[in-house]
Amino acid sequence: MADLAAALGPGGAREEPLELAMYGKDAGVTRGRPGAVCFPRDAAGVAGAVRIARRHGVPIVPRGSGTGLAGGATPADGALVVSTTRLNRILAVDEHERTAWVEPGVLNLDLTRAVAHLGLHYAPDPSSQQACSIGGNVATNAGGPHCLASGVTSAHVLALDVVLPDGAEVRLGGLEPDTAGYDLRGCFVGSEGTMGIATRVAVRLSPDPPAVSTLLLEFASLDAAAATVGAVIAEGIVPAALEMMDAEITRAVEDYVGAGFPRDAAAILLVELDGRPGSVAADTAAVGELGRAHGARRVRVAADEAERALLWKGRKSAFGAIARIAPDYYLHDAVVPRTRLVDVLRTVYDVADTHALTMMNVFHAGDGNLHPLIVFDASEPGIWDRVASAGDAILRACIAAGGVLSGEHGIGLEKRDHMPLIFGPDDLAAQAGLRAAFDPDGRANPGKVLPEGSRCGEIAGAPEGTWI
Amino acid sequence: MTLPIDPVDLARCVDCGLCLPHCPTFRATGRESASPRGRIAAMRRVQAGEPVDEAFVSYMQECVQCRGCEAACPSGVPFGRLMEQTRQALRSTRRPRPPLVRRTLEWLAYRVVLPRPGLLVALSWVLIPLRRLPGLTGRTAGLRYRAESLMERLQADDDPDVHLFTGCVMDAWQRDTHRAALRIMRASGAHPGLPGPGAGCCGALQLHAGMDFDARRLARAVMRSLPGDDPIVVCSAGCGAMLKSYGELLETDAAHRFAARVRSFAEWLEEHGGPPLRDTGRTVVVQDPCHLNHVQKVAGSVRRVLAPAYRLVDLDDDGLCCGAGGAYSLTQPELAAAMRDRTLAAIRRAGGDGAVVASANPGCAMHLAAAGVDVRHPAELLEAALGASPDAGDGDAGESEHR
Repeated sequence: MADLAAALGPGGAREEPLELAMYGKDAGVTRGRPGAVCFPRDAAGVAGAVRIARRHGVPIVPRGSGTGLAGGATPADGALVVSTTRLNRILAVDEHERTAWVEPGVLNLDLTRAVAHLGLHYAPDPSSQQACSIGGNVATNAGGPHCLASGVTSAHVLALDVVLPDGAEVRLGGLEPDTAGYDLRGCFVGSEGTMGIATRVAVRLSPDPPAVSTLLLEFASLDAAAATVGAVIAEGIVPAALEMMDAEITRAVEDYVGAGFPRDAAAILLVELDGRPGSVAADTAAVGELGRAHGARRVRVAADEAERALLWKGRKSAFGAIARIAPDYYLHDAVVPRTRLVDVLRTVYDVADTHALTMMNVFHAGDGNLHPLIVFDASEPGIWDRVASAGDAILRACIAAGGVLSGEHGIGLEKRDHMPLIFGPDDLAAQAGLRAAFDPDGRANPGKVLPEGSRCGEIAGAPEGTWI
Repeated sequence: MTLPIDPVDLARCVDCGLCLPHCPTFRATGRESASPRGRIAAMRRVQAGEPVDEAFVSYMQECVQCRGCEAACPSGVPFGRLMEQTRQALRSTRRPRPPLVRRTLEWLAYRVVLPRPGLLVALSWVLIPLRRLPGLTGRTAGLRYRAESLMERLQADDDPDVHLFTGCVMDAWQRDTHRAALRIMRASGAHPGLPGPGAGCCGALQLHAGMDFDARRLARAVMRSLPGDDPIVVCSAGCGAMLKSYGELLETDAAHRFAARVRSFAEWLEEHGGPPLRDTGRTVVVQDPCHLNHVQKVAGSVRRVLAPAYRLVDLDDDGLCCGAGGAYSLTQPELAAAMRDRTLAAIRRAGGDGAVVASANPGCAMHLAAAGVDVRHPAELLEAALGASPDAGDGDAGESEHR
């Protein structure tokens, strides 16, 4: 602690027990007990903190805004939490090359706002984009509704300055179109803090599309909605976003924000098309026709920016709407092949029935990224066992359908023990070998992502007194 | 101790963190303990039996109570209420005990001076020479009232159909704003009256400090001073929010009826219809006081009443608190200054150096003016646009005479 104070200055590190308890968890369901938290202001500060932790044999856990849902920022017991909240400067913006160098604590939406006057934006838009940080986005390889056409975070990170777990500072990737050698940048994105801490991130900025069109399609059955999703993709149209909401969540959202969603539809699709005005108009007509051909009972095209904003407000308010139904929710993040959407959804509903739980579904249909939401009241005795068991059943069903564990939230602590469901021992050993190349001592965010390796205390399930 | 907080309110937070960017103290410090989510976590621990220590008290005192987090919260956590109840508990147990100087100053301010507007005006006379003392100018730069303003009483109309609430600090230090408001109300065809005897402070500062007993006593006095059914117009966003909450505070029918009469100045003007204005062609940067924006949720009315006379520019800071926060700029000067720096940068981006800023709250106005910003109340801006002389705003009432 004295070393940290000397390296980072007064207030640069804190160990007050009440404050440390706040760094014991993120927005997910797991909890740990850090030994200290520090707030470096530059790369040298991060490197200093990492070296001090190494000298004292203490693990490190990077933390951005703590909005992660998979426990990626849950510290191993006694760990040093390295908060990036004071690394929050936009260092350089090149409007011609459409790139920016930012520090990891810059918030996703703040970056987009800062370059909006140039007609640019940062494309990945997680639903938490107002609060989540670029560093956290890099750690989880975050997605968002608009990542269908533009790709997830990995497609928008060009280079990273990184402090490795031994304190060395290196640059991964580069601004050039193709950097020589191994793509260590691609390896680092999504590594959830297990390969070091990014201190500067070069991101790609995207031009704002000249034309945007948003459609709301209403369906009397889930199958019709899912068939439309398949048909749109098969037609070769790549929507900017393609979101599905089931009947329960649609009603909940409508009650909450009044976005004009139909209360009696079995499912709705929200489709956004962008590009040049001519192609957007043609695609809008085509999506409407495909929808009707596959059983859409109504197709509504947002007439103006206000209506478009209202439709998106409805979609992005889904979690708020749920919070008003019950105090707690548990959000999953599995991905399944688009063709299996309906089968998997049916299984999800069956799981909800057999566990006597309320389940709602709002998801990125275009890329098959499901977000089944279990809504419950944690004060109900024994509820967590049912919620955990239902979650486990859902994940297994998704994997059985050819899916994967996470679309955009990361593995973290929460899904670590599910990794053997999709990877064999050799696969996991190969991944552990790669991780060890960056972090031979296993001190960088131990206990995350991979089931083997140093395990941190007993952070399994939701301990007594946890609110979820 | 346990906190007298509804466990259901406390359980509503799901730790999502969406409040963090809307919390000015989190933005200033980057610390979880200075965020709504962190403060709720701390409240939960005390609720679960952990002792109240110095750290807990300081985390609670760092909150500016802007309630920007409430507006951002998808789960509808009533954070303002949680914080008020926590502060009540801290005040009633007095453990750990705050320093004697602080207790004395709070007692003088909250219990002696603010409830007595006459005393406050008298003290304000004393402050006029003091505020020019070299050592004090930094702290008193926001106090720009004119001596003549303290001498002239506000004039009520004979047969009023609307009342202007005058309060404490604003009556002493920004009486020119009330003078402008009365002039606008008359120019709109209304006949404004003033509070009867016994009216003083609205009780907001006391409530925010956890002195709910004092707040209720002051609220009853304010209600007695404003009988009848006429609308009550409030120029201070903080006082207006407080008057509107008397129903929940006192839990009586009379208090609910009283609260339903309360309007912020621009809100009333919009409903009633304003006076004819000329287009000044000038640019004004609009600052949204938290208690107008997040609490009363009527910040839009300021823009709508000013729009015919001024070119309006918004701040791009997402409505983050400027750090004034009632007495906050005195109790937490470092955080308040850090928050203000952020607002000042947003003002510069919006209107350049020397921008004229509209603010409908005396606390924000003084806090920003202390940093050299040219802040006017919407009522003063409207008065300057009432036609008459071509440039009524400059050199008019309310200008700082010692900048």
